[in-house]
Amino acid sequence: MAVGSNHGNGLFFRTLTEVQAQHIHAASSRILEETGMVIHHLEAVELLRQAGAYVEGENHVYFPAWLLEQALRTAPSRVTMYDRMGRPAMYLEGSNTYFGTGSDTLNFLDPFSGERRSWRTEDVAAATRVCDALPNIDFVMSMGLLSDVEKRMINREQYAIMIQNTTKPQVVISEDGDTLRDIIEMAAVAVGGKERLRQKPLLMSYTEPTSPLQHPAESIDKLLVAAEYGMPTNFACGGMAGASVPTTVGGALVQANAEALSGLVIHQLKRPGAPFIYGYGNSPMDMRTMQAVYGTPEAILFQGGLVDLAHFYNLPCWGYAGCCNAKVCDEQAVMESTMFTLMGALQGCNIMHDVFYMEFGLTGSLELLLISNEAIGRARRIQRGIDTDPAHLAVEAIQRVGPGGNFLGDEHTAQYFRENWQPDLSDFNNYENWTLNGSQTMAERAREKLKYLMEHHHPEPVPAEVKEQIERILKAASARLG
Amino acid sequence: MNSFGNMAEAVIAGDFETVKKMTQTMIDEQVDPIAIINQGLMAGMNVVGVRFKAGDMFVPEVMMSARAMSTGIELVKPLIADTNMPSAGKVVIGTVKGDLHDIGKKLVVMMLESAGFQVVDLGVDQAPADFVKAVQEHNPHVVGMSALLTTTMLKMKDTVDALKEAGLRDKVKVIVGGAPVNRSFAEQIGADGFASDAATATDLCKTLAQ
Repeated sequence: MAVGSNHGNGLFFRTLTEVQAQHIHAASSRILEETGMVIHHLEAVELLRQAGAYVEGENHVYFPAWLLEQALRTAPSRVTMYDRMGRPAMYLEGSNTYFGTGSDTLNFLDPFSGERRSWRTEDVAAATRVCDALPNIDFVMSMGLLSDVEKRMINREQYAIMIQNTTKPQVVISEDGDTLRDIIEMAAVAVGGKERLRQKPLLMSYTEPTSPLQHPAESIDKLLVAAEYGMPTNFACGGMAGASVPTTVGGALVQANAEALSGLVIHQLKRPGAPFIYGYGNSPMDMRTMQAVYGTPEAILFQGGLVDLAHFYNLPCWGYAGCCNAKVCDEQAVMESTMFTLMGALQGCNIMHDVFYMEFGLTGSLELLLISNEAIGRARRIQRGIDTDPAHLAVEAIQRVGPGGNFLGDEHTAQYFRENWQPDLSDFNNYENWTLNGSQTMAERAREKLKYLMEHHHPEPVPAEVKEQIERILKAASARLG
Repeated sequence: MNSFGNMAEAVIAGDFETVKKMTQTMIDEQVDPIAIINQGLMAGMNVVGVRFKAGDMFVPEVMMSARAMSTGIELVKPLIADTNMPSAGKVVIGTVKGDLHDIGKKLVVMMLESAGFQVVDLGVDQAPADFVKAVQEHNPHVVGMSALLTTTMLKMKDTVDALKEAGLRDKVKVIVGGAPVNRSFAEQIGADGFASDAATATDLCKTLAQ
């Protein structure tokens, strides 16, 4: 049976046809060949020049088609991410989907006081432990920007918190290559050395240069450091449709694809075969407020197109889910985030971040995180599709129960009902029982569960000697930065 | 009067070809160039401002109107002495040292220009000394700084301090903006204003440039 993706048993979803993907590839190739990219990084420009790219002036690079095709041949089609114990945790390939939080929100929507305030170290640690407990959160990002540590140390301190408060894989932000090296050091001491880390990557580096058609030095630095260490990295340029990429979804895809491919070429020249996650971050500009927004229908379509391009190139891909523009965890928050989550799952986007983002990514809500955990659970069941083997077609059970009977007392029901999705935060009580349970809204139930998780969930700790090594790396960095 | 009205309508519609033709016709008919700007071009743009605020027009349409207005202004400019050129005010703007993010700043520039401000855009990665030099050279009403990174926003204070040291702080209003910047930070570093988006920044400049 021909299917567009391998979502379970033939569940079919794609945004672009094969021919449309080919058209976008051709258009992006034209941009790279005719318009080129400005790359503010001498080593990268030199790598490109030697590989046969055309360089005008100091750093304006034009990419011939064969150079793209060469990079697409050497880049791996699948990347496995491991947890802190060295167990495989995410197979980034095909239409597999994984979900995680976002990084560096400025404000924490305190679930218990309702206050919108800066993140402190203990908030980020507690939030990370909650992620560790949630079954549908597969990886973590730093969630909150620490307000109580020295600014140059923020990324390093965030990493130290993540690695000590969850065993799940991480996607990490680093302000420059030097920061990334320190983060890799910390990860290496936790998993037993750099070679081990390269073999079983616990972290992926996050790189987000700014469109249009240019790459800043720090982004390329990080890209090259990731290639050098063999750490998986994304290279998701960030754009605002209508400002830094075209307002049409097709045009945004053409430019996004050109920028992503240019990053892939540089990355593969540095170390052929190094793991690269294809992607792009497009937040369309709202034309009334000039705000970059999440999860509009066009942004969701854009992601579908991008995922289909990744499948067309046979590359793992990066995207978004569970994020919104609402200021509090209200109806808009749940509508926007859930629509993005379900669509991202159906698109088959391999690794989706920003679950729990509110207010265009400026604020994080743990209630939304818990509600999204439930939405992801629902989406995952849908992805599994319909089993049509004899046991699931249940002819015998239907014959057994017969006209006027009831399946509730039949063994087939007892044997298979657990395969169906079960609610956790969603309330399926009748009105009377819902009232007896305190007439709670979903957000209230989420807060109650949060409280429970914060008190009762204790992630696997890192050994004392690892903790000491992490402290040592932080101290050394702090001393070096003065 | 009627032709001024038609010109304003063409500005509102963002029809630069018509604006260009009408401006040339008026110049040929020896209409007062300042009146062309104030009663025709700017009059149209003022309506655009009101409609945008009411939510009846969107940013890309405002941009088209602004382009139409500048098409006309380019034609009459050579006929007016620099000192008589109608302007809402002058703004020097840039992204601070170490920061290359300028999408937000570019939006502010576009909105300011469409509101009739004369804008000197310094670009990205501008050191405190660069701002000081630009203020000395251009003598603006307002200097605007932008930052996206929490690490680079600290440079805003350095710039305010540099303006003080150069004895320029009383001669210019300082405004700041960017994702991590907020009102209390603006107050902390001694800026005169903060705006959370490009439209608010434009209103703020109008108030400060008066």
